Amino acid sequence: MNTTEDTGDSGTRTIALDRNGLIRVGARPSLWRYLRQIWEFRSFVLFDSKSRIAGGNSTNSLGQIWLVLNPILNGATYFFVFGLLLGTGRGIENFIAYLIIGVFMFRFTSSAITSGSKAIISNRAVVRAFSFPRATLALAVNVRELMVQIPAFITMFVLILAFPPLEIVSWKWLLFIPLVAVQFLFNLGLSLILARLVTRFNDVTNLITFGTRIWLYLSAVFFSIDRFADHPTILFIMHLNPMYCILEIARDSLLYDTWPDPNRWLVLGAWTLVLLVVGTVLFWQAEESYGQEK
Amino acid sequence: MTAAEVAPHAVTSPSAQAAVVIDSASMTYVVRSIRPAPRHETFRARLSRAGSGVEISHLEALKPLSLVVEHGESVGVIGTNGSGKSTLMKLVTGQLAPTSGSVYATDTPIMLGVNAALVPQISGEDNIILGCLAMGMSRAQADAKFDSIVELSGLKDSLHLPLKAYSSGMASRLQFAIATSVDPEILVIDEALNTGDAQFRERTRQRINVLREQAGCVFLVSHSLGTIRDMCTRAIWIERGELLMDGTPEEVTGRYQEYAGHMGKKHDKKAADLREKCRSELVRTKIVWNDQRSPSSATP
Repeated sequence: MNTTEDTGDSGTRTIALDRNGLIRVGARPSLWRYLRQIWEFRSFVLFDSKSRIAGGNSTNSLGQIWLVLNPILNGATYFFVFGLLLGTGRGIENFIAYLIIGVFMFRFTSSAITSGSKAIISNRAVVRAFSFPRATLALAVNVRELMVQIPAFITMFVLILAFPPLEIVSWKWLLFIPLVAVQFLFNLGLSLILARLVTRFNDVTNLITFGTRIWLYLSAVFFSIDRFADHPTILFIMHLNPMYCILEIARDSLLYDTWPDPNRWLVLGAWTLVLLVVGTVLFWQAEESYGQEK
Repeated sequence: MTAAEVAPHAVTSPSAQAAVVIDSASMTYVVRSIRPAPRHETFRARLSRAGSGVEISHLEALKPLSLVVEHGESVGVIGTNGSGKSTLMKLVTGQLAPTSGSVYATDTPIMLGVNAALVPQISGEDNIILGCLAMGMSRAQADAKFDSIVELSGLKDSLHLPLKAYSSGMASRLQFAIATSVDPEILVIDEALNTGDAQFRERTRQRINVLREQAGCVFLVSHSLGTIRDMCTRAIWIERGELLMDGTPEEVTGRYQEYAGHMGKKHDKKAADLREKCRSELVRTKIVWNDQRSPSSATP
């Protein structure tokens, strides 16, 4: 169909080349090398997350205050609807603090994966201009979400101490630090998977909003799992929900001064490991395609 | 495709000189679009059209094309809108993976595109640092380059503003300054100079010449034939997804101007004849690898 060598006298010129020094443009490196590249771009990750925290809220006149205000307003809404109108909090010791932990901790994951899933599509200009390991963008989003959550977590501590009854501040409160670290890795793994999906099928964005909503209702944010005490199957499924594990660990150590059940750590750790490994491999496999327009 | 064809006038080019090798790369886009509903459609027909109303079409943007560009060359790329110029540039930078064939280069190409805004919400200063880090510099290297980038951009007074407050000309000046700060071995400029003023053009020209002297190679897509003649040592003309001419900027822009004239006056026959003439005169490039194997796909 296309006119090639057969066109008369001029024809073709053949150039013989050595392959030394030439590399295929945009080629995906090996997984091991890819991970090393991500490490080499660590200052990019840090700078990207820092510079955008300041820029991100500049369109609202209340600016960064929204980071704290948002979960408070959310919590107040849930308290009104579920605590007062529907009464799901009946029988829960210290319900206000219970709810506060649920809302703030859930929000860390939900906002991290929502922005994490858009890591590529909201950074097309940078992706088009430079070639760097794209996973750094998903990593940067999660680092940013972590930094943004720190004032929110401080607010959370202030609030649960402010509302009676008074909690016992013990060494168990330190468990909060490894918990947030694991939750960060969990968010990162999920973000990597979702970012690949969203970049390929934009429709997934709609499903993520829906999915986090369902997850919120299923994770005992504003009710207690004790109401299913007679249903071993439901209980078993709830115990496999990583978000439930996060909330349970946080509540046990911060509110009820008890050591969290090791099974919660086990389930959460397993989810985190699987998501992180699957997410990294899945994201890396499509590395060459992220520059494409859809 | 036999040895007989290859052997007679094989020009062996030491690969130390080749900066970019495009080995019969082609590109076909898969595009999703809303299917138009036929005006008079029965209810049943409407049902049978799969509910989403989204149609997938294939668009051949670039036919298989081979090209070797050497160090120290600046190549102007011309062609009418939709001819496949930008697609070719995206293949060269690795932003797109070709549907068939491959593109090889001695270094990672840096792209300078029209949408110059990098991260619109953050300040020009932060964009400079971020851009440098994205090209793989360390923080210390980025800080060291900072002043010379500010200098080249000529935007000292507006760098604290977020990038969204910049005019398109200012934004492309900034991106040009960032992109060329690493002394890229291969630089691809896709119509990014159109928004610049005369002073910026002059600076660009000087910068491109410096890059060329350092044995870099520059691709320049532009609709301004003057710019191509001014800044390039070689020009290629791409039309309807195929290479029509490859020669000196004077020859190629001259022929292209003639073609654009025919097209403007709607002399379709003359335009088609001219295309056919170029096609028959074109000396096509065929690439063979000395050791029968193409370069390894992964970076070393």
